[in-house]
Amino acid sequence: MGTVHARSLDPLPMKGPELGVQADDLDVGDAEYEPQQEVLENKDVVVQRVHIDGLGRTKEDFLTYEIADVFRAKNLIDVMKKSHDARQRLLRLGIFRQVEVIIDTSHGEDALPNGLDITFDVKEFRRLTGSYNTMVGNNEGSMVLGLKLPNVFGRAEKLTFQFSYGTKETSYGLSFFKPQAGRFERNFSVNLYKVTGQFPWSSLRETDRGISTEFSFPIWKTNHTLKWEGVWRELGCLARTASFAVREESGHSLKSSLSHAMVIDTRNSPILPKKGALLKINQELAGYTGGDARFLKEDFEIQLNRRLFWDSVLSASLWGGLLLPFGDKPTSIADRFYLGGPTSVRGFSMYSIGPQSEGDYLGGEVYWAGGLHLYTPLPFRPGRGGFGDLFRTHFFLNAGNLCNLNYGEGPRAHLSRLAECVRWSYGAGIVLRLGNIARLELNYCIPMGVQSGDRICDGVQFGAGIRFL
Amino acid sequence: MSLAAEAFVSQIAAAEPWPENAILYQPLREDQILLSDCASSLAVQAYLRMLGLPVRVQCRANAEYMSPSGKVPFIHVGNQVVSELGPIVQFTRAKGHSLSDGLDDVQRAEMKAYMELVNNMLLTAELYIQWCDENTAAEITRPRYSSPYSWPLNHILAYQKQWEVRRKMSAIGWAGKTLEQVYEDVSQCCQALSQRLGTQPFFFNKQPTELDALVFGHLFTILTTRLTTDELSEKIKSYSNLLSFCRRIEQTYFESQDRDSQLGASDYSKGPSLM
Amino acid sequence: MAAPMELYCWKGDYGLPSVDVDCLTVLAYAKFAGAPLKVHKITNPWRSPTGTLPALRTKEEGSLSQPSKIIIQLRKQKYNADYDLSAKEGADTLAFVSLLEEKLLPALIYTQWVDAKNYVDVTRRWYAENTSFPLNFLLPGRMHSRQMERLRLIRGDAVLEPEEQLEKELYQDALECMTLLSQRLGSHKFFFGDSPSSLDAYVFGHLVPLLKIKLPNAKLQQHLNSLENLTQFCSNILLLYFPSDSREAQSRKAPVHTDGGGDFNNEPHKRRNQILSVLFAVAAMLGYAVLSGIVTIQSSRSELGEPQREDRDEHDDEEEEE
Repeated sequence: MGTVHARSLDPLPMKGPELGVQADDLDVGDAEYEPQQEVLENKDVVVQRVHIDGLGRTKEDFLTYEIADVFRAKNLIDVMKKSHDARQRLLRLGIFRQVEVIIDTSHGEDALPNGLDITFDVKEFRRLTGSYNTMVGNNEGSMVLGLKLPNVFGRAEKLTFQFSYGTKETSYGLSFFKPQAGRFERNFSVNLYKVTGQFPWSSLRETDRGISTEFSFPIWKTNHTLKWEGVWRELGCLARTASFAVREESGHSLKSSLSHAMVIDTRNSPILPKKGALLKINQELAGYTGGDARFLKEDFEIQLNRRLFWDSVLSASLWGGLLLPFGDKPTSIADRFYLGGPTSVRGFSMYSIGPQSEGDYLGGEVYWAGGLHLYTPLPFRPGRGGFGDLFRTHFFLNAGNLCNLNYGEGPRAHLSRLAECVRWSYGAGIVLRLGNIARLELNYCIPMGVQSGDRICDGVQFGAGIRFL
Repeated sequence: MSLAAEAFVSQIAAAEPWPENAILYQPLREDQILLSDCASSLAVQAYLRMLGLPVRVQCRANAEYMSPSGKVPFIHVGNQVVSELGPIVQFTRAKGHSLSDGLDDVQRAEMKAYMELVNNMLLTAELYIQWCDENTAAEITRPRYSSPYSWPLNHILAYQKQWEVRRKMSAIGWAGKTLEQVYEDVSQCCQALSQRLGTQPFFFNKQPTELDALVFGHLFTILTTRLTTDELSEKIKSYSNLLSFCRRIEQTYFESQDRDSQLGASDYSKGPSLM
Repeated sequence: MAAPMELYCWKGDYGLPSVDVDCLTVLAYAKFAGAPLKVHKITNPWRSPTGTLPALRTKEEGSLSQPSKIIIQLRKQKYNADYDLSAKEGADTLAFVSLLEEKLLPALIYTQWVDAKNYVDVTRRWYAENTSFPLNFLLPGRMHSRQMERLRLIRGDAVLEPEEQLEKELYQDALECMTLLSQRLGSHKFFFGDSPSSLDAYVFGHLVPLLKIKLPNAKLQQHLNSLENLTQFCSNILLLYFPSDSREAQSRKAPVHTDGGGDFNNEPHKRRNQILSVLFAVAAMLGYAVLSGIVTIQSSRSELGEPQREDRDEHDDEEEEE
């Protein structure tokens, strides 16, 4: 049990008119509600001490940054607001299960008549939490074991380990995360992982074993991430009937890449936002730090949302990407872009647009995709105010194109190739929001502009995911 | 594949004639291919040349992983992929080409048995010498096997393969053998082959069969490959009828048909031909 | 030719001198070459001098474990069944032995150890019944995984799954191998003339388990049965060189048939076990009852000095031992 005693940063002498309210009356239990605002607004106060009760392994110096602001409060409303902010900041560190704020008048010999003592009553997470799940699906069962050590060394470092043992494959991941003291948005993390994936649309099986380190930091309104990643990729055919083009890609390769991502997100929610915009630009350079793969990959994502009449939202999004290989080695199927499916151009089968060989889709080196959506609440608004709010109906128009870069034709030729033979689709459906992370969709789609070789899924299509066009 | 499906595929295979653009895939000739793979590839090439079927040789660094069975060489004919000599022989027979049709039952039994002798003893001895003898492994095999990959993947893959081969050796009982014993086994095998060949031009008198192709592939590769010592090729050189057999096949099927050496076995060895 | 050598083998069953392929090969060769061996038939591989079976222990060379090494050792001791073979026949021997190892042995391993029904119904049951406690829990599982791994390594696959495709490939090779052997044997008594040689020992060792051990999934057996000369060859050798084992099998068939009833064929001691276990349970209950005092044992001592004590005993719940 530790406490933090902190003095005020610069002692303020008492100033201002005397009010009739005694110090005792200022005993406010919780910063969330504010009665008697009019009376208290003009009363000057001085925050004399801030305590944090309930610390175990968390280091005190780490927390002073989060609560420093509270000292600057000038009047009671300010105190309540700043302590609420400080509470949020303490919670976002991810090391406390619960934080409660108690504002009290100061006691003791050096107590000023308008002095306040603020106490944050915190409950830390346990040292080790674990989880165990079993998952069944797609002819495979697996058990997943997760271990989390929040706040390992006392400064909000987090160590997580996840291990999945399945009938067909095993995978694991170990990750270490450390924020900078005082500026939580600046952090770095190191990951070690092995994942396996099966991609039936390309008859491809991929096993990645890799290590990555990333730094995140905000600059003004944007958030940047710099990452180095080293991956040992093993590709193989999923079935004996895989096409020869996929067979040619089988084998081992090493990719060592540096990447940079910039995100500006002013939306009010990542799923079904009502307003705001998103801009994400990502670039990856592989090959100059070792490894076999050498390329430059750029991709961007833009989304704009605007609220219209009657609770409906108009949303427009645009995605695009480019993969430029260096040297004479062709690009690997694992790096290329894919298009189509319930999360991108709806109305087409999963990743089934573009260059293909004997029914296996090989992906493309350059693509664009755009979508226009109109989200409205359910007709007649059933379950309003409760369950019904999780649903939306939406009307959409999606379009996109994908192709390979075959040199010698120049960029203009490629642009014109992307502009002709555009695949597009339209339709309507229902969206269900799952928490703040994912959404489910059930749509009726009509695909158009279908080229030979594409596989369509016209009619009803179901989709679940995190990132939708 | 079920029996019915395979019969169906054989019928399709039989229906199409041998195309002009058949390709044989093997690891990179200059830097990567190993003795055992080179021997197997040469055997398949010899067999196809004996049948008079055209095939182009292409080298890929990931040939071993491309192959459906994990072993090289493999051929890509039409839209089918077949690997290893045994299945390739069956595949060509389904297309109506065969070298062993003229044999009677007892001879066919002997031919199959001798082919298994080569696989069981010569090929296993080659694998042993490459991977289980530490000198050869460190100087030749591991650097060659890992040459197409960058650090640290090259070391990981080379050691992984070595470990796998060593486990196979202990599963079949070769782990306890010393290098001398392995050379002794090779000698015994060559003696058996030499006995069987006798003074005939080919193993089954006038016509070559797949056994001739297989024996040629292995012996020629061993003779023209430089390892850390010459002991292996010396064992073979002591049987003169085997030497003349190899020379005969090389002259009949390889030098006469094209000048630029498709054999490739000689590229990392001393001298382009025997002796 | 010093003191006789000792050979450690798996125990025999089903009319065979041993159930293991390598043991059969060595036993047959020893009989053909007339080598005087002291044969130990055991069921615990850890008791053999090398840890695996078959194992030959000699005074001079220590212990050897593989059939090829054992045969070489026997030859060195002048017990050579291949003495009369010509050089070409010697070469043929090497070739056909390779054929057996490459084409027939993987299918044998598959049919006994990998095929699920065969493994559970026959192989595992035999090893569990015939090895002593507590090995019978560990050994079959260990042997099973060892054989699976061996099959996987021989084939060079990354992962082995008992699936139809694999079974078909293996069986096709094995059937072809058996047909070839049959063609080579023709109508001769043995592979090279009238006296048996090491090749006959190898062929016998590999084929006779198929012939005699009845498996639920019997594709290989059916094919073997259709090759008359091979079945004749195997039964011939059994009759000539292992008459005692085949007689044992005959005599064992009789009591099995006269027993009648379904279960009792497999478990002749079932009734005895049932009675014993019931008795044991009753004894345990009684013992517990007496010890905890639920039932008192009245010791009736008709002594003059203690009549009251006895009375009190009858009404007491607690036991008082005297």
